[in-house]
Amino acid sequence: MAVAQRSGRSRYRLLLLLLTAATLLTLDFRGFGPLETAQSRARDALEPVVSVFDAVLGPVAEVWTVMFSYNDLRSENAELRDEVDRLASADIRSAAQQDAFDRLLDATGVTYVDDVAQLTATVLRDSPGNFDDDAISIDAGHRHGVAPGMAVVTSAGFVGRVEIVDAASSTVTAVSDPGLVIGVRLLDTGDVGLGHGMAGDPTRFVVDAGLRWPETGDLTELPAIGSPVVTAAGSRYPADIPVGRVASVEPAEAGLALLVTVELAANVEDLGYVTVLLQAPTDEAPVGPDSPFPQDSP
Amino acid sequence: MTARRPAVTAPVSMPPTVLRSRRLLAGSRMTLIGLRLIVVYLLALLLQLTFFSEVRVAEVAPELPALVAVLAGLFAGARHGSVIAFWAGLLWDVYLSTPLGLAAATFALVAYALGAVTEDLFHDTRIQTAVLVFIGTAATVAAYALLGTVVGQRGLIEDRLLRVVLVASALNAVLSLAAAPAMRWALGMRRAKSERKWRKPAEAARRGR
Repeated sequence: MAVAQRSGRSRYRLLLLLLTAATLLTLDFRGFGPLETAQSRARDALEPVVSVFDAVLGPVAEVWTVMFSYNDLRSENAELRDEVDRLASADIRSAAQQDAFDRLLDATGVTYVDDVAQLTATVLRDSPGNFDDDAISIDAGHRHGVAPGMAVVTSAGFVGRVEIVDAASSTVTAVSDPGLVIGVRLLDTGDVGLGHGMAGDPTRFVVDAGLRWPETGDLTELPAIGSPVVTAAGSRYPADIPVGRVASVEPAEAGLALLVTVELAANVEDLGYVTVLLQAPTDEAPVGPDSPFPQDSP
Repeated sequence: MTARRPAVTAPVSMPPTVLRSRRLLAGSRMTLIGLRLIVVYLLALLLQLTFFSEVRVAEVAPELPALVAVLAGLFAGARHGSVIAFWAGLLWDVYLSTPLGLAAATFALVAYALGAVTEDLFHDTRIQTAVLVFIGTAATVAAYALLGTVVGQRGLIEDRLLRVVLVASALNAVLSLAAAPAMRWALGMRRAKSERKWRKPAEAARRGR
């Protein structure tokens, strides 16, 4: 009797917990402000401790990485030796400094957007879990003028979108995330479509909505392989940011639509610095009969 | 004839001062357990956020917040374990890009199920605990991916899911060797029977002397 009562009570408690979780999920989906603020405050409160842990455990983690990527490092080392032989004068330290400098230049030398304020940020760390491969933490937050929805780029091209903004840090969803939909324009044909990252391949991007297979059947109307792809003017992000180059073109939806695979311009897996374009993000991309984006807004 | 009244015995009651001090003792013990749990969980979270964001085996990191939730289910039972797991999941949710409440619901469900199923099982040796942690972590990671997909998250169920489930569960099982004593300490539990068994001969010998 007592056992049954206890089990009934614990079931009731579990139900309450699940209802609470469902309520939180619903509020989060609806973008409930106080909930986001509370999460941001919690992260801000823990950030100093996380930084200290990072500083203390960083060298240990590096030792681990060295131990288990020995073969990769050896081949990399051989390549570096060749380079050192060729350059002769460069020592390892200056090479490392040069590398950091190059990466900084990569991030700050954004030439394709003129009229938008830019902020250079350092990449703090990669995703903490096993399901967040496309999340990147950067050291710029709302103190620096960063807001959710802003575009993040390098000199190579589009890197992602600012998703969560805390006081001094932010989380960026990389362009390789299959959930991040972006409005793009194929420069070769001028066609506009919607694309997203490909699960399991952070170097590719697929444009699978809004493009039509040529009605005439003339294959010369297809975008050329290697032709550039940029952000579209009607998308949420500033226009003409390089996204990548067309890697393959194939028919979809029984030959009515066009599926374009794009080789991403920016390498989102190895980022040291990035540039945030401080342009107030558009809440919704224009959707409607006159818009290039028919249904799901990017 | 007068009906005989049944003898009424006064209930055995404790003096109010004793009751009050017992309640205070119980309250302070709960506070202590709560504080210890916070310490253990924060340590796990910080390790996950810093060390294990770089240190991975086969590109998979252990799931320390899930480990705490699973151990809570095993050691604290379905009733209390599910509550601890819920809070563990909620704080982990703060750092994930998936919606708030997803990990909390998953952790609570798995901790409850694990607590209920293993209630009458003997699981106080390290190997038994490790096996249960393996099963619990596998269930947690799989349920998280499944629930996430149900609520519309992309990219959770993909080719590498099986690898993530197996490697993360194996890593958690190994790490449970250190995490289980920490959770026992946090929950104010005694040492496992098997560990005590090892000490018995030594103690008996000492007493015999």
